[in-house]
Amino acid sequence: MQVFHIRYRNTQGTLMRILGAVSRRGLDLPFVQAEPEQHAHAVTILLDVNAKQVGQLYRDWRAVVDVVDVRAGAPIADWDHSTFNTPHPPTSVGGDNAAQAARA
Amino acid sequence: MLRGADILLRCLRAEGVDLVFGYPGGAIMPLYDALEGSGVRHILTRHEQGAVFAAEGYARATGKTGVAIATSGPGATNLITGIADAKMDSVPLVCITGQVRSALIGSDAFQETDVFGMTLSLTKWNRLVKSLEEIPEAIAQAFYWARSGRPGPVVLDFPVDFLKASMDFKGPATFKPHPESAPASELTFETTLIALLQQAKKPVALVGAGAKLSGASKDLQELLDVLKVPAFATVHGLGAVKQESPYYLGMVGMHGTRAANMALHDTDLLMVFGARLDDRVTGDPSRFAPNAKIVHFEIDPSQLDRVRTCELPVIGNLAETIPAFLNEVRHAHLPNWREWREETCSADRAEPPLSGPAQPTRRFLDELFHRLPKNSTIVTDVGQHQMWSAQRYRKNAERGFITSGGLGSMGFALPAAVGVQLAKPTEKVLCVSGDGGFQMNIQELATVHRLGLPIKMVIIDNKYLGMVRQWQQLFYDRNYAETDLSDNPDFVAIGRAYKIRSFAVNEEELQPETLSDETVKRLNDFLSSPEPELLVFECHPEANVYPMVPAGAALSEMVFEEE
Repeated sequence: MQVFHIRYRNTQGTLMRILGAVSRRGLDLPFVQAEPEQHAHAVTILLDVNAKQVGQLYRDWRAVVDVVDVRAGAPIADWDHSTFNTPHPPTSVGGDNAAQAARA
Repeated sequence: MLRGADILLRCLRAEGVDLVFGYPGGAIMPLYDALEGSGVRHILTRHEQGAVFAAEGYARATGKTGVAIATSGPGATNLITGIADAKMDSVPLVCITGQVRSALIGSDAFQETDVFGMTLSLTKWNRLVKSLEEIPEAIAQAFYWARSGRPGPVVLDFPVDFLKASMDFKGPATFKPHPESAPASELTFETTLIALLQQAKKPVALVGAGAKLSGASKDLQELLDVLKVPAFATVHGLGAVKQESPYYLGMVGMHGTRAANMALHDTDLLMVFGARLDDRVTGDPSRFAPNAKIVHFEIDPSQLDRVRTCELPVIGNLAETIPAFLNEVRHAHLPNWREWREETCSADRAEPPLSGPAQPTRRFLDELFHRLPKNSTIVTDVGQHQMWSAQRYRKNAERGFITSGGLGSMGFALPAAVGVQLAKPTEKVLCVSGDGGFQMNIQELATVHRLGLPIKMVIIDNKYLGMVRQWQQLFYDRNYAETDLSDNPDFVAIGRAYKIRSFAVNEEELQPETLSDETVKRLNDFLSSPEPELLVFECHPEANVYPMVPAGAALSEMVFEEE
């Protein structure tokens, strides 16, 4: 697993283009956090990628018009998958209120 | 006070646009209402896909930015293939789409689609315009991104209420990018590249579309004349290197020449000029140029190291990097690669004599191409005819061979030829299609007729989806599933129904060593006519394109004409 930190100008669609570079490769996105940073925005992404994909993603992101900077952290050997990969509860959990409203 | 639509058109004029292609509809109606007197000529096609391919043809022929206009919803979605096509082949394109009223966006309104979301991955840049005041800046930015660096498509989506509303117009905007967004140019490579050349025993040069897009063909030719290394071109690089250059080996790749493919396989130093090493060129990437170091001249950093890590990336516009390199080469002491050049041109690497069921079609194309004037443009669709045309192309016109390469969009040729002919009204435009692809945008015959465009349209009619049938023959045990087009309509009758002079030639006429006087006259009349013409060439249904590098094979594993 590897962390990527991308600074970008928060113009229309830029964050979506950054995430699109990941999704088009069929990669899972276990962690994404985007927030303002200084005069721009920054998104932190955690990905399970090989060295070739790192190069491809780096180049794709740099090609996005309003991306300012791309940094990659060192690979993380022991990533605790359980923190972010807990399954979602079934839709019926906590759905009583919605079901009652539907029957009203 | 001016309407948003008027402002949009004035901004287009400020960007040098005087010709657009499009198809009207509800959400884009205000723009059409403003066309008269705007100085922008609109070409009505008969399908939005026709409009975007025509805009592409115009851009590919001139280097200018093509503009296509469509309404919201299905109008916009009909542009998608053309946008993807422009992205793959680096075509500068601005697509303007109408959108539903801004208050309705997101409500699944009539003819509403999320064009912005849909085109994110297909464009260099796009925008849903959110106010009337934004229009000048949006246009300026759109044209900047379409043209700069590696050219490509952009989309501007205009809610109809902004096109109808009015404001005081202070003039077109200009756009300057942030300094760090400008493409990097690294000109510190000279010493390393000269050293690589001095060590190389078998250097080669691969030339792609970038040589033409950058306007660097002349400098590149001079560089190759100095280096005298074997050189070859991708399908988009055809015309960038003079065909008669003694070191030029032809087209390379899946249907490239034997000499080019063998040289690329054997090289120890591959210099790539403006090509992206697409899989149609490399064959099996794991066995591509196995002994070569790669020097990659490329404007788009995202295209580097896609296939294999290059030893030396040279990032920048070829218009700057090639002259810098040429300057160093002139003063460098380089080996004489005469023996290597002779090896690449040796008899055992020559093309085998042409024979087999495809021979009449190749002959037919030779007869047509040979008769074309020097500055003609050939536009092809996608399939076997495309590859035969590329293999038989012998002209040196820089933008003389136009085809859909990266996306391989069938239906491209006829509307693209419309755009090319409008871009080059006094030049000959030959449009070569297959019977499958021609039918995909056949409605554009109406555009051709209305405008009286003297396009010479050829259909290579083998009554099959030919290239797919070839693969089914070679790799799927001749299981011709869903490739049979034997119930094609009468194309001659269809051409005449569109009031275009149309006739057929069959391949028996191309069999004799000397063509009959009648056949010669028909070909000459076809090409010299000042009117649009349609010629249907009825050819062998199971002719194949050779040589061929099968999918997954190395370039050295070409298959030649079957026994």
